[in-house]
Amino acid sequence: MLLAEQALNGLQYGMMLFLMAAGLTLVFGVMGLINLAHGALYMVGAFACAAVAGATGSFWLGLGASLAAAAAAGALVELAVIRRLYARDHLDQVLATFALILVFSEGTRWLFGAFPLYLTLPPALSGAVTLPGGLQYPLFRLVIIGLGGAVALGLFWLIGRTRLGIRIRAGEADREMIGALGVDIARLYTIVFALGAGLAGLAGALVGTIQSVQVGMGEPVLILAFVVIVIGGIGSIKGALVGALMVGMTDTLGKALLPGLLARVTDAASANAVGSALASMLIYILMAAVLIVRPQGLFGVRAG
Amino acid sequence: MTRETLVNLVILAALIGTALVAQALGEGFVVTLATKAAIFALAGVGLNLALGFGGMVSLGHAAFFGIGGYVCAILASHAASGQPVAVLPFTIAGTNEMPAIWPVAMAVSGLAAGLIGALSLRTTGVYFIMVTLAFAQMIYYFAVSWPRYGGDDGLSFYVRNSFPGLNTFDPIQYFAICATLLVLALGVCALILRARFGLALEGARQNPARAQALGIRPYGLRLTAFVLSGMIVGLAGALYADLNRFVSPAMLSWHMSGEIMVFVILGGVGRLCGPVAGAAIYILLEHLLGGVSDYWQVLLGLLLLGIVLFAPGGLVGLIAPRRRHV
Amino acid sequence: MSEPILELRDLRKRFGALVATDGVSLTLRPGEIHALIGPNGAGKSTLIKQILGEIRPDAGTIRFEGQAIDGLDVPARARLGLARSFQVSSVVPGFSVLQNVVLAVAGASGRIYQFHRPALRDPALVEPAVFHIRHAGLAGREGVLASDLSHGERRKLEIAMALALRPRAFLLDEPMAGMGLEGARQLTAILSDLRAEAPILLVEHDMDAVFALADRISVLVYGRIIATGTVAEIRADPEVRRSYLGEDAP
Repeated sequence: MLLAEQALNGLQYGMMLFLMAAGLTLVFGVMGLINLAHGALYMVGAFACAAVAGATGSFWLGLGASLAAAAAAGALVELAVIRRLYARDHLDQVLATFALILVFSEGTRWLFGAFPLYLTLPPALSGAVTLPGGLQYPLFRLVIIGLGGAVALGLFWLIGRTRLGIRIRAGEADREMIGALGVDIARLYTIVFALGAGLAGLAGALVGTIQSVQVGMGEPVLILAFVVIVIGGIGSIKGALVGALMVGMTDTLGKALLPGLLARVTDAASANAVGSALASMLIYILMAAVLIVRPQGLFGVRAG
Repeated sequence: MTRETLVNLVILAALIGTALVAQALGEGFVVTLATKAAIFALAGVGLNLALGFGGMVSLGHAAFFGIGGYVCAILASHAASGQPVAVLPFTIAGTNEMPAIWPVAMAVSGLAAGLIGALSLRTTGVYFIMVTLAFAQMIYYFAVSWPRYGGDDGLSFYVRNSFPGLNTFDPIQYFAICATLLVLALGVCALILRARFGLALEGARQNPARAQALGIRPYGLRLTAFVLSGMIVGLAGALYADLNRFVSPAMLSWHMSGEIMVFVILGGVGRLCGPVAGAAIYILLEHLLGGVSDYWQVLLGLLLLGIVLFAPGGLVGLIAPRRRHV
Repeated sequence: MSEPILELRDLRKRFGALVATDGVSLTLRPGEIHALIGPNGAGKSTLIKQILGEIRPDAGTIRFEGQAIDGLDVPARARLGLARSFQVSSVVPGFSVLQNVVLAVAGASGRIYQFHRPALRDPALVEPAVFHIRHAGLAGREGVLASDLSHGERRKLEIAMALALRPRAFLLDEPMAGMGLEGARQLTAILSDLRAEAPILLVEHDMDAVFALADRISVLVYGRIIATGTVAEIRADPEVRRSYLGEDAP
């Protein structure tokens, strides 16, 4: 029973990571850009949700605002800064987006203060449901799992079936070619960037609802999303999904089970200490294993 | 003497001169600021070896900075308590002697750099950036969740470690130690970079395919540079721990990695003394802008954006311009 | 007949449905220039990459001075004395001419893990480098940045770097590409002398240069060698005339 609950937690965590990683991997794949500020957009989404939900009393409006605000911030940042970086080397991209993190984080701290904000769920989403087998599980976490799955399906459809998707795939294959095809690259890039930003903002709002909304919440998630992409392979939505679920499961189950497993061979106190320290390293060990076997990631085509 | 060498010497002299003048005027706080700048500069010099000369954009050097710091703090705290650090396989006692602490700090961070580098260098480009960042985060979380040495709260030690013949509590004497190590590290880097190793490293950075066709394997060169870089940054971490007599996981955080990179960039990538100028400017900005607003990092962020977009050679590049390599 | 320096035996490589190399056998003998010609898409690049060790053949073997080198990577083959030039000139742009060639001498020595002695003051590196620079016709240009060289000078720099490898064989990938008339004439003379150092496998589109330089020619079409012979034999070969040179060939 505990295992089933932890597996669901892992699934929910993985879906949230997927929302974050999907946008990042698209931006990598299509524009060849590393964006450290993706975590800042996640934070913008969370704060927008908290502010709008706080002002209007409607969680749903807040959720909508998170998508809209993060997508708008993403589009703005792309127009003002990011598009000057496509032709630059990765170092310049790292620095400029690091600078954006400083601006966003400190700016948010200035606007909202350093104290965490908390969101309340509407009654329709709170409480627990009884799953087959008698497990009581929070409804909202199930909603996140469902939402993540829906976004994944939506992205597969978007990339595989629509005109925008064809252009995105063409852009991943050959950046010069889509220019030759007469596609307005500048607009395509802004759209892809805003799409990724919106998904990150949505993830931020959802996680902010479970935990809390505060400055700096984005960067730990950003680094996990990097791990997801390294495992899944750059530019692959499928890789992002598989990688996110692997990371979510490994982390959750490791933290839940490892101390208990170690307690069988050593005393409880040190098993707890060693177990939790080791569990926090598990996903990175997973990443190291993937690097040894397949440096280009599970679904990646090229390394670099 | 080239214009750049001259600029390098002026920058170093300015840092040392500032500390001496501050000492003469009785401004102990400024001496401590200069010490902090020297330590950050040392970390920047270390990163520059990998980043500027080896072309490895590592966002994980906080790992080595923090490891160096933790080695220092752990040895010092054991020296204070009298408990050995380890008894198996052989007894390792704590120590509060800097000349004993530094080699250990460098060895342990070098070892970590060897492991992280060996794995990370299997990738290039954005993968490399993400992987180094992720491994540093792994060590960060390990430090947070490992309660033995303070976990999240960090680890304090109450007495600064000692150096034979010097009073390390005197700010100017501790500055002298840090500045000497900085100059030494600069000298070692200058030597290495002019030797065959440096030539091959730079050649492999600018044109890896050509290097291979000349019988040179870039992987080994880069890994060696990465380890040397990690060792220098580890030494800086040990000095920083002694400056504050405190270490915490913050030294290992991604933010620290970003800051070390900022020291390098503010000064100019691939310039020997760039990080010295960069660290000094960073400390100065922190002090000046920090006085204007608590949110000075917004201004730092905007300044950094401006440099990346409009002055890619860094601030030293503005004074001693040089054509960028293709 | 003397032992071949380089020998390819029944090399095969396919990419999916495309057969890029279809049973190629070829020898490079001491003192000769062996030209490899063929239309675009014939598989010349794939073949070169296999010789250099950039890609592995599916089947077949490559012998260099009598020793199978199939298991060696690019740097190891270079250190055995397999020197190459690139289709697009490939030098270290931020290095001077001297630094480029010193790098080549250091790479060939296999001792690049030296950390203290300044490379540019090491006579063991600089003396051979200056010699090779002169040999390649770049005397007096030692201090010039490689990115400031003219196209033709960059070609010469590549040759100086190849010489520094103490080569046992040269693999030159379209050295005439992008050269003007005068440049091509100069380079032809240099290459002709170069065969005294080591034999040359020359991949080239410039037929004037090929006919002027080559001792033997092999014609590669659709991954197969359809003919090998002297200049006269190849000119006379009806299949070559039909499939490659065309009826208006000289």
